[in-house]
Amino acid sequence: MPRSTAAALLRRVDPPQALTVAALLVLGLMTLYSTSGHDFAAQLSGVALGLPLYLASAAFDYRRLQAAAPFLYGLALLLLLTVEVAGHTAYGAQRWIRVAGIQVEPSEISKLLVLLALAAFLARRERVGRREVLILAALGLPPTLLVLFQPDLGTATVFAALLLGLLFLAGAPRLVLGAVLAGVLAAVPVAPHLLHGYQRQRLEIFLDPSRDPLGAGYNLIQARIAVGSGGILGQGWLHGLQGQLGYVPERTSDFIFAVYAEEFGLLGCLLLLALFTVLVYRMGRAAALAPDRFGFLLGAGAAVIVFTQVVQNVGMNVGLTPIAGIPLPFISHGRSALLTDLVLLGLVQSVALRRRLVTVKPESRIPLTESGTVRLPV
Amino acid sequence: MELGGQAPKPRWNPRLVAGGLIVLLAVSALAVRLVQLQVGEYQQLAAMGVQTRVHRVVVEADRGVVYDRHGVQLVVNAPAWALRVVPAALPRDTAARQSELARVALLSGVPEPVLDDLLSRAPDLYLPVTVKTGVGPEQAQAISERLPELPGVELDQTPVRTYADWQDFGHVLGYTNRLNADEYARLKSLGYLPDDTAGKAGVEAGLESILRGRNGWADVETNAAGLAVRTVAGVAPTAGDSVYLSIDASLQKAVGQYLREGILAAGVRAGAAIVVDPRDGQLLALVSAPTYDPNQFTAGISAAAYQRLLQDPAKPLFDRALAGLYPPGSTFKMITAAAGLQEGKISAGSVLPCPASISYGGWTYRNWAGYDMGPMTVEKAIAVSCDTFFYRVADSVGDMSLAGYARAFGYGTAPSFEIPGPQAGLVPDEAWKAQQCQQSGATDCRWNPGETLTMGIGQSALLASPLIQAMYVSAVANGGTLLQPTVVSQVRAPNGQVVSAAHATPVSTVPVSPENLSVVREGMRQCLQASYGTGFLFRNDKFQHDGGCKTGSAQFGGSGTDLPLHAWFTFFSPYDNPEIAIVVLVEGGGEGHDTAEPIAVKIADYYYSHRAQIRAA
Repeated sequence: MPRSTAAALLRRVDPPQALTVAALLVLGLMTLYSTSGHDFAAQLSGVALGLPLYLASAAFDYRRLQAAAPFLYGLALLLLLTVEVAGHTAYGAQRWIRVAGIQVEPSEISKLLVLLALAAFLARRERVGRREVLILAALGLPPTLLVLFQPDLGTATVFAALLLGLLFLAGAPRLVLGAVLAGVLAAVPVAPHLLHGYQRQRLEIFLDPSRDPLGAGYNLIQARIAVGSGGILGQGWLHGLQGQLGYVPERTSDFIFAVYAEEFGLLGCLLLLALFTVLVYRMGRAAALAPDRFGFLLGAGAAVIVFTQVVQNVGMNVGLTPIAGIPLPFISHGRSALLTDLVLLGLVQSVALRRRLVTVKPESRIPLTESGTVRLPV
Repeated sequence: MELGGQAPKPRWNPRLVAGGLIVLLAVSALAVRLVQLQVGEYQQLAAMGVQTRVHRVVVEADRGVVYDRHGVQLVVNAPAWALRVVPAALPRDTAARQSELARVALLSGVPEPVLDDLLSRAPDLYLPVTVKTGVGPEQAQAISERLPELPGVELDQTPVRTYADWQDFGHVLGYTNRLNADEYARLKSLGYLPDDTAGKAGVEAGLESILRGRNGWADVETNAAGLAVRTVAGVAPTAGDSVYLSIDASLQKAVGQYLREGILAAGVRAGAAIVVDPRDGQLLALVSAPTYDPNQFTAGISAAAYQRLLQDPAKPLFDRALAGLYPPGSTFKMITAAAGLQEGKISAGSVLPCPASISYGGWTYRNWAGYDMGPMTVEKAIAVSCDTFFYRVADSVGDMSLAGYARAFGYGTAPSFEIPGPQAGLVPDEAWKAQQCQQSGATDCRWNPGETLTMGIGQSALLASPLIQAMYVSAVANGGTLLQPTVVSQVRAPNGQVVSAAHATPVSTVPVSPENLSVVREGMRQCLQASYGTGFLFRNDKFQHDGGCKTGSAQFGGSGTDLPLHAWFTFFSPYDNPEIAIVVLVEGGGEGHDTAEPIAVKIADYYYSHRAQIRAA
C-alpha cells in the first residue's frame, strides 16, 4: 500500500465511532473494576488484544471477505457444531469450547461470521424476492437453531433480528416482509413449547417475578432494585451496594447494566444509551456511505447486531424484555464477545474508510460498475 | 485514479431511515423505563434494597448459670460448634438445593424433613438458621472440609449447656433443647426464634425466664452469601440471671449414691429421696432414680437414643420425686392421728386396743403384726404403726373429715414448684367416689365404709408424691405450717447483685392445734427412739440426734393379702426446732424399714457429719 494511500485512508477514519467505542470500553472497565478485580483484569487483557484487532480490521479491505463468505459460513457452522459435541456446560447451557487452552464462545464469533455470509449473499442479488428470502432463511436457520439448542436464546434472538433486519434493509418487498413478520408472530404462541425448561421458567418469571423471589425471579427483582437504587445521580462509582455485595446476579456479564445503573444513576444510563445511539448511528452512516452493496449490508447488519444486543440486554435489566443471556457490547465481561464486537466495528470502519469520493471535476467521474460502486485501487 | 476530493453526503435510503426511527423508538422506550425506575420508583426500590441488604440479627444473651447453695457450678456454657444454613445463599436451582440439603443432612445427622421444616420457618431468608448445636470437633472438622462445596452452610461457635454430675442432678437441672414447631408457636410472642433453644425440663425449664436473659439485636449489612459486612445499628444483649439452688451439691451426691445403692440392694429399679428444711421449705436434696444424661438432649438427641430412653422399663425420664404417685401407707397415720385428736375422737391419754384384726361390715381388717399388741396410746400406735388402732380412729372420724385433714396437709394438690411436673395425687372420699361412678356409669356409687378404715392407714385410693410427703412431714415437724417447696435460694444478676432471695412461703396452716400436733410428733419420736418404735435401724446405728420418724409399707396393685409393697420412710430431726425432714421412697421396695430406712439413716448421718459445711452461709 503506497504511503500516500494509507495517509489518505487514515484521514477518512470515522473518529466519532472510534471515540464512542473507546468511551464505552472505559465505562465497561470502570464498572467491572467496581465489582470484580478478576474479571476486570481479564477484560483489560481483552481490550489490549482487541484494539490492535480493531485497527487491523479497519485497515483490512472488507471487500475481500465477500469472496470468502462460503468459507466463513462453513466455519461458523463448524464452531457451533463443535460446541454441541465437545462444549463446556455452564448454567445448564453448552456454550464454550477450549481452543489452545483458551475458552472460546463460538456463538459470539458466529454473529460476525453469519453477518458476513448473509451480507455477501444478499450483495450479489440486485433484487430480493421470494427466492432470496427462502435462500436467506435456509442460510440463517442452521446457525440460529444450533445456538437455540445450546441453548442460547440471546444469540438466537440476535440472529433472528439480523435476518429480519437484512431482509428489510436489502430492500425486500413489503409483501415478503409482511409474510415473514406474520410467520414470526405466528411462531410466538408455539415458541414456549420449544423452549428449554429454564427458558420457559424465565419467561414465566418475566411475567411475574414475585412467584419465586429466591429462585428464578431473584435475578429480575435484584436487578430492578439495583437500577432503581441508582436514582438520578447514582450511588457513585464503587459505591453501588447491591452490586458490591453481590445481590445483582451475573453482575459482570448479563446484569452488568444494573450495576452500572446503580452507581451512575439515570444520568449515567442516559449517557450510556446516548453513546450506543451514536454508535449505531455511525454504523448506519458508514452503511449509507458504503461504496458497494456488501459494505452497505455489512455496516447496516452490524448496526442491527449491536442495537439488538443493547435493547435486549438493557431491556432485561430494567424488566422490559424476558431474560435471555446476552452481553452488553463493550461493557459486559467476556473476551469472545469483546473481540468479536471490536472486529465488527473495525470492519465497519473499513467500510467507512473505503467510501466513494466525490471528485472535484465532474468530467473525471469514474464509471460505475454494474452494482453502482466504485472499485478503489487499494 | 486520484484519491482526494470531498467526502460525499451519506445516501440515506428510506429503509435505513426507517431503521433509525426504530432505534430511536426503542432507545426512548428504555429511557422512559429508566426514568420510571430511577425517579418514579426510586424510594420504593431503594427501600427494598436496604431491606435486602440489612438484616436484623438477634444477638443471643448468655444464659444464666446454675449453682448449688454454696456457688458450686452445676451447668457450664461450654463452647461448641453450631451448624447454620443461610436459606438465601443456597443454590437457586431446586434440584441442586435439594441435593445440597441431602448432603447437609448426611453430614450433620439432622434428618432432611427436620431441615426443610426449620428452613421453611425462617423469618428472614438472609439470616443463618441454626440447624444443629453441639456439633462435636470431629464432625465439625468433617463439615468444614466440605464447606466450599456447600454454599450457604456455615459453622459458628456458640455455647452449649453442659451438665456435670448429671447422675445426681439430672432431674433437678433438666436440659435445654431446640424448640419444635408447637413450642415456637407458643413462645414466638416472647421473642423466641424458630431455631431457638429453651429449657425443656427441670430448673432449665422452670426458671427459663430468669436464666434466659434478654436478647439484643443488630442491624447487619450482609452480602448476597449472607455474610455480615458491617453493623448499622444495634442493642447489646442482657445476660440471664444466675440461679443459686437451695440444693447442697455434696449432700445431693451423697443422697443420690445412697439411693442408688439402696435400690440395688432391694433388687428393684427406682426410687426417690428428698431432704427439705421444714422451717422454710428449701430443698437440700432432690433425687429421682434412675435418671438420664441431659447432655444427650442439648447435643440434639438421636431418635434411636430417645426411643431407648422412652422404652426403658425403669422410665429414667420420669421424675418420681415430683410426679410419681404412690399410696402413702403407714406414713399417712400422723394425719389420721391428728384428725382423731382434733375431732375429739381420741386424746393424748386415751388408750385403745391393738388387736390382730377387727371385723367390720362382714370383712376382716388385719394388723400387720398378726397378734394382739395390747392397749396403747396414740403415740405408741404411731411408733409401732398399729393398723387396727387407726382403723378405729378413721371410722370414728369419718371419710369426709379425714379427707379434709389429708388435703390440709397438702394431699390432693400439686405443690407450686420451680421445677415443672409436680402431681396432685388423690384423696378419696364419698364425693370423689360418686363422681368416679358417674363418669364410669356404674350403678352402685355408695362409698364402702370399709374404705374409710383402709384410708386411715394410708391405703384405699390415696396417692401422694414424695414431694407432697416431704411438705406434709415438714408441716408436722414445724408445728403446722404447710410450706411451698423451693429449690432456689438466690437469684443473682450477671454483676453478682442479689436479685431475689428465697424466703419461707406458707401455703396454709393446718387446722390442728399445736398441742395435738405435738402429740403426733411425740409418736414419731417414739418411733425413732423408743425401744418398740419401728425406726430401729436408727437405734442400731447409734444415731446421736433426736427427732421423729415413720415407716410405711404401702400395698399397691390391687386389694387382698400378699400384695407388693412400696417402701416409705419419713423422718425429721432434731426434735425441737427441726432443721431437716427426709422422705425416702423405694418403688416396690417391700417393707419401709427394710429398704427405705437404711437409706434415710445414711442420709441423716451424712447431714449431721457435714452439717457445718451444708449450713455454712
